[in-house]
Amino acid sequence: MLEEELTGQVIDIQEFRTEIAKNYTIFLTKYPEIFSDLDDGSIFDFCLYNSIKDYFDKSPADTFNVLRNENGIEIKSGRANESDLELALSIAAVKKLVQTDTKVEYAQLLGSYYNDPDEEKEWIDFTLYKRTQTLIDMGYGKFAKTAGILEDEDEVYKL
Amino acid sequence: MSKVKELEIKNKYTGEIIDTIPADTVETVREKIKRVHEHQHLLTEMDFFERANLLSRYSSKLRFNKQKLKDLIVAEGGLPVKYSEWELSIVLTGFKFCDWYYQFLEEKTLTSIEGEQNVRIRYIPHGLAACISPRNTPISLPLYQLGANYLVGNGAIVKPSTACPLTMLEAYAMMEDIDLPGLDALGLVIAPGEWAVDEFLSSPLVKTIMTITASHTAKDILVRYAKVLKKGVDRSMGVTMYTTPFKQFFFECAGNDAGIVMNDVNLEQVAKWNVMASFTNSGQQCFSMKRIIVHKDIYDEYIELVIKEMEKLKYGDPTDPDVDIGPLGSRKILMMMEVMVEDAKKFGAKIYTGAEKIDTGADYGLFYKPTLVEIKPELCEDLTKAPFLWREEAFGPVRSVTKANDMKDAIKLANASNYGMRAVVYTSNLGNIEIFKNKLEAANIYINARPMLVDITVSLGGIKDSAYPPGCKYYPQELVFGKYIYDGTPLNIDKIK
Repeated sequence: MLEEELTGQVIDIQEFRTEIAKNYTIFLTKYPEIFSDLDDGSIFDFCLYNSIKDYFDKSPADTFNVLRNENGIEIKSGRANESDLELALSIAAVKKLVQTDTKVEYAQLLGSYYNDPDEEKEWIDFTLYKRTQTLIDMGYGKFAKTAGILEDEDEVYKL
Repeated sequence: MSKVKELEIKNKYTGEIIDTIPADTVETVREKIKRVHEHQHLLTEMDFFERANLLSRYSSKLRFNKQKLKDLIVAEGGLPVKYSEWELSIVLTGFKFCDWYYQFLEEKTLTSIEGEQNVRIRYIPHGLAACISPRNTPISLPLYQLGANYLVGNGAIVKPSTACPLTMLEAYAMMEDIDLPGLDALGLVIAPGEWAVDEFLSSPLVKTIMTITASHTAKDILVRYAKVLKKGVDRSMGVTMYTTPFKQFFFECAGNDAGIVMNDVNLEQVAKWNVMASFTNSGQQCFSMKRIIVHKDIYDEYIELVIKEMEKLKYGDPTDPDVDIGPLGSRKILMMMEVMVEDAKKFGAKIYTGAEKIDTGADYGLFYKPTLVEIKPELCEDLTKAPFLWREEAFGPVRSVTKANDMKDAIKLANASNYGMRAVVYTSNLGNIEIFKNKLEAANIYINARPMLVDITVSLGGIKDSAYPPGCKYYPQELVFGKYIYDGTPLNIDKIK
């Protein structure tokens, strides 16, 4: 059986505070398959920060949440009510991520911002709101690998 | 007060002084133990998930500053830069997802035969732990010791190796940077093990001693503890009473891991993994394929492939991203490699490759070329007659290899050891896999696994002389005790009112 193609949509894009968040959500809707490993109903926040200080002060410039539903992903402005986790990104990182041309290029860049972050420029981080085991069971571990955050074993073994 | 001395920390490759730091004295160690003990309540006032969240946040701090840490690991530890990432990843992953350990600490309800649920098992932190760490891992093991104690709510004092304390001092400074709540319940001691251990053993405030060390050193700690117990003997009532309370001991010791290669695998692939598993960190790892056991049918072909892979290993300046083998940790290790190879020669061992050294005459820039030594199988089975290299842990880049006739023989050879940390098997015969799992004498069995896994499920521990108490283990699980609580109130409240 062929896997049904996933779709991505942004709800009420005019509600976003920043242009960069709008651009990023539009970009993410091009690659809904990145979220394919997540269980239906998984929902998490993307928070965009001007600086690492803002991140530690919990003061994002913009936020949106991504819901994995049976058709694909649905993106809305603001934080989710019961978010599974927060993916935090510097705005400098998002600016570069939206310029990537392929899903693979995006994943590689996102992974590099996690594994070799630059506090002053491009970085990402995440905070878990649910227990690790619960999130693993929901498919977040595989998602992290697809999204480039967890390194692919073959990359590790190039050592 | 004894005078505070300074400690020069040298670059393991160049011998240059990286930094000079104050060393602890007996008095400052005692003060630190007291301070940590007094502040332990700060940890138990938080619940497990608060502490887990804080440790996860600290993991981000470490990751944002990993270059600084990697530079120190390479300089003072001598680990090649390409492996410094791996060294750091172990704690970054473990701390980021540390709430995963809750499964070992979660309170359990027991159901009686009658179906009543009046009994609970609750897990309680032991209390202040004094931890001693080795020189081969400047951050992963000492920080894991500190973090595991923090996670379960124990105050902890960690003594990193005096050869490489700077990485841990930096990691501790990063805890200060983020104002980690409860930090006063954690401390570092910079002092030589010779007397610091005695301070830990004799302090009534220290409840647990955790060490990662050679098995013989761990046994020496027990001998010293016996002396502490003897000092507390009271014979005033006409009988011998040892008044000093028990301490908990957790020893992670040596490994002499067997790696079995059967005649039904892709030899090129396994040879690559074998070399990585055997020579990472110049073979200075407790878990490392140290005794390689190869099926006789593929022995010659396999040895050729392993040698080919070994000869690809580049050794030298650990800051060079292409270097695989960094300098050895000490002259003692270099001498031990020489002794092991010379002793094996007396048994007619064949040296396939290696057995050359670079000796600067100092305690830096020391190398021993990756070495493979064949030991005849008939010498391996009886440990009283086996060469030193087979019997004891080669904590450096020398590995032994021997030939097995079949699976049964391979298992017999693998189990011919006083150690039992890990055992590794490569086979595609699905019918034999369960036999290997059941028969191999080790606490951790790896079947067809890639080496150097960085995953939260990876366990420590060992059996025989590899660990005490025996078994695979996760530190948070070991740092608490189970409390049995029977609450008969629902059944009996009316009767006892």
